[in-house]
Amino acid sequence: MRPGWTVLGMSTALCAVSLAHAAVPDGMGAKSAQGDVALTIYNDMALVEDVRRIDLPKGVSRQEFPDVSAQIRPETVTISAPGAAVVEQNFDYDLLTPGALLDKSVGQDVSVVRLGADGKEVATTAHVLANNQGAVVQVGNRIEILNEMPGRVVYSGLPAGLRARPTLSVTLDSASGGARAVGLRYLSRGFGWKADYVALFDEGAGKLDVQGWVTLNNTTGTGFPDARVMLVAGQPGNDSDDGNGRFARPRPIGNRMGTGGDDRRETLGDFHVYPLAGRTTVANAQTKQVSFLNASGVPARKVYQYRNDWQHSTEEGESVDTVLAFTSAKDGGLGDALPAGTMRVYMRDARGNPQFVGESPLPHTPMGSDLALKTGTAFDVKVQPTVEKRERITGTEWERTGQWRITRNNEAPVTTTIDEHPTYWRTQMAWKVTNARAVPVEVDVVQDGLDNGWHDTRVSAESQPGRQLSLDSRVWRVKVPPRGAVTLTATIDTRY
Amino acid sequence: MRALIAALALGPTLAQVQQAQAQQAQAQQAVTSPAPASVAVTIYREPGRQPDAAFDGDWLRGYALVTETRDVDLPAGPATVRFEGVAAGMLAETALVRGLPGGVAEQNLDADLIGARNLYARSFGRPVLLRRVDPATKAVIEEAGVIRSGPDGAAVIQTREGFRSARCAWPDEYISYGEMPAGLVAKPTLSVQTAAPVAAHARLTLSYLAWGFDWRADYVLTMRRDGRHLDLAAWVTLASSDDTAFAGSAAAVVAGKPDKQERDENGRYEAGETLSFHCETARISPAPPPPPPPPIMLEMAPAPMAAMDDIIVTAQRRAPVMARQEALGDLKLYRLPMPTTIAPRAQKQVALAERRGVKVQPFYRTRLELNEDEDGRPLRQVLRLQNRKADGLGLALPGGHVVVLEPHGSTSLPVGEGRIDDKAEGEEIEIELGEATALHVTETETAGDDSGSWRDHAATLTNSRDQPVQVEVAIPLEDGQHLLRPTQPLTRKNGQPLWRVTVPAHGTARLGFRIVEPK
Repeated sequence: MRPGWTVLGMSTALCAVSLAHAAVPDGMGAKSAQGDVALTIYNDMALVEDVRRIDLPKGVSRQEFPDVSAQIRPETVTISAPGAAVVEQNFDYDLLTPGALLDKSVGQDVSVVRLGADGKEVATTAHVLANNQGAVVQVGNRIEILNEMPGRVVYSGLPAGLRARPTLSVTLDSASGGARAVGLRYLSRGFGWKADYVALFDEGAGKLDVQGWVTLNNTTGTGFPDARVMLVAGQPGNDSDDGNGRFARPRPIGNRMGTGGDDRRETLGDFHVYPLAGRTTVANAQTKQVSFLNASGVPARKVYQYRNDWQHSTEEGESVDTVLAFTSAKDGGLGDALPAGTMRVYMRDARGNPQFVGESPLPHTPMGSDLALKTGTAFDVKVQPTVEKRERITGTEWERTGQWRITRNNEAPVTTTIDEHPTYWRTQMAWKVTNARAVPVEVDVVQDGLDNGWHDTRVSAESQPGRQLSLDSRVWRVKVPPRGAVTLTATIDTRY
Repeated sequence: MRALIAALALGPTLAQVQQAQAQQAQAQQAVTSPAPASVAVTIYREPGRQPDAAFDGDWLRGYALVTETRDVDLPAGPATVRFEGVAAGMLAETALVRGLPGGVAEQNLDADLIGARNLYARSFGRPVLLRRVDPATKAVIEEAGVIRSGPDGAAVIQTREGFRSARCAWPDEYISYGEMPAGLVAKPTLSVQTAAPVAAHARLTLSYLAWGFDWRADYVLTMRRDGRHLDLAAWVTLASSDDTAFAGSAAAVVAGKPDKQERDENGRYEAGETLSFHCETARISPAPPPPPPPPIMLEMAPAPMAAMDDIIVTAQRRAPVMARQEALGDLKLYRLPMPTTIAPRAQKQVALAERRGVKVQPFYRTRLELNEDEDGRPLRQVLRLQNRKADGLGLALPGGHVVVLEPHGSTSLPVGEGRIDDKAEGEEIEIELGEATALHVTETETAGDDSGSWRDHAATLTNSRDQPVQVEVAIPLEDGQHLLRPTQPLTRKNGQPLWRVTVPAHGTARLGFRIVEPK
């Protein structure tokens, strides 16, 4: 127990406090006060289960739990102590600081040590009158401002309730005395994990070797030695954004979420669960990686995609997206569920050394999904879109869009014809696809922004057949010979 | 005093800690790899940076793939292999260790760094010494104390006389710690846990991505006197703001745009917040606040102060040593032909390409405004090149900064600066330089009808140079507008009408046309 707040006489304060009796609060020493710890780490938080052996006295006692995560969410704490009932749980974060010490000593005496005229230190008793942006003290019959006084303030003890750091304490009412296993469960921020994939792509062979790593971070400020660790691929909350599952730009064509299958993984509700073998130490400020996936020779191919967001021209050619396409299916694929993370793609250079060629985020992906990940853009393959002509088509006939029969107050029905004179715009687009490579390439050219809320868009002419992806998007697959160029043209009629 | 310290030492003694560490070491043998045997560094540009933007030398936001080979002697059984001398900007999640006979059970990057704040926090409840110099006698005075506050409340200390704040009465007072708390590391340290079946020598490959590198291309175009040809010299400037020196490395740079998520902040490990002391009383002499712990990066490799100013030109001779280009998937890799040293906080240049007598078409460009009368707007100077062998080029050109020199007497002087983006073979390259001072365009509206269904415009170009110049004037029509009755022949470019004209020396050229609004 901490020493109580006792104001001692000056002489006593200077010599009678026995330091040896001031117990060192445990918890921040070398040995952790944690018991048997199990961590269940979600993408952005963790459930900490900590079973400690505690000797409880009979009756009501207050127990402190040092070495809990410094980023504990105190409102989530639950305690289970066999044969004992919880009276109350407290999370105290009134921190011990020089200012707090002074605050708590208002109305009490402290000693101020100053240099006397003879160069020797003199201790004076000062009565703290108030501490409002600087303490005012009474020394003898004079009133002085403490922070204008040279010297140091010495307190004879620490006030109760001030903590060196936020502390969890629980008051327990135990039916009998004795040691027992007390279980502590709480959620903590400052934990997180994601998957990191290393993919070595052999373009010639159309094969992909993939290693999956679980990367977990502990930024709680607290270490957890010898813990059992389980990782859950998911975020139970909805208030955070890990940036992985959400994409600002539309994802490349070719992504399709699968329906899962026998991936031999443990699940928890919606989530996949990845237990780590054995016990491991999750140290503070540590990044820990454990391998969970190793697949080689997965069929994969590279595709080129270009997306023109709206009907506009560019001054020069724009590099097309380089997209890596493969599947997580069991047959002809990775054969596993892929927790959200980042896939980094490497290719071998002319000397056979793997070089980085780009990375892509990846959402939680069930087994059996088709993946198309944009890893970068192509230096040698470009598309330059041009609006060749855009003009209003003057409709020669009025379009009858609706006829209503309206009956009003038992009068004879009136037939009203609504005539609309729609305006159509005809846009002639050209996309010049250039290929500086020594091999022929195929580029999927996507034109977006066709619908614009009108649901009335027609492609009245095109230089090669396209495929409508949605009301808003149409794609053409353009084949370009080596060191060549092909111009795709289309005429698009829209209502805007 | 001695007895007091002993009485304070309620925690485990140093001997006990050492004993515990020794026991741990038996279970998990430690192997340290101090430095790589060889290293290859491939530098990628900062994602999204303008190709001609200057580097922020102290904080480069490009990155590099570092591939190291390391020789280690592995014991049989479980062992921890620690890697020292890796780049400070290492992205831990990208680290890959290959070649371990027992595979990698677990890989850790420990970054709980030794620093003032961590030392204080970990020494809570422990005996420390408070030391200061007596101003009168100049003797060092030591006082035993116990830390009673966390680092956020620093620093409440318990001494023989009671509880007090440190460093109030004596600004030069400092805390001297008896031992290093366990678990802190000097710099972020990568380690892997493995278990070799038998003791063996192993050659490992360690690869990782690291922030703090960048490169760019610099082009020097020297115009020939005929105004139709130029000499092109391209340089690769590569730079490192990391603290680690990569000596004798196989270096390469990659052009093109691989996707890379932003992660610069997390890639750097700081020693946490600083530790600051608070006082209730006046200071004897206003001492400056305690210096924050020096950034760990500075500690690791004291770079020469002038390093950033040193541009090491390794190849400024005739027939310079050229970087060699190869295709890397859809990117371009330029390999430095010989092993080089990538020094901390330094940049170096290597020749990338040299072409003589490249065909160039200099011209001036403007774009009409068409809305109001405009008086004497200056034109912009542009150089147009065709990136093909027939014109003297024909190679993948990475984006970069361009300086144009023109012969002047016996020397060449800069006349313009611009930039080019990544240009593939066969592409047209237009390099926009500064505003011309001798070429202007004046726009007037000459006629129009009351309902605004048509307007007549005129554009006049004036050339005050003593030679004829080529000008291209783009006429940006809006949706549905038509251009009728041009007084000069027009062509089209990028879907818009274009007036291409030669303006004579000290002369003018005029174009009139009508724009009809859509009905």
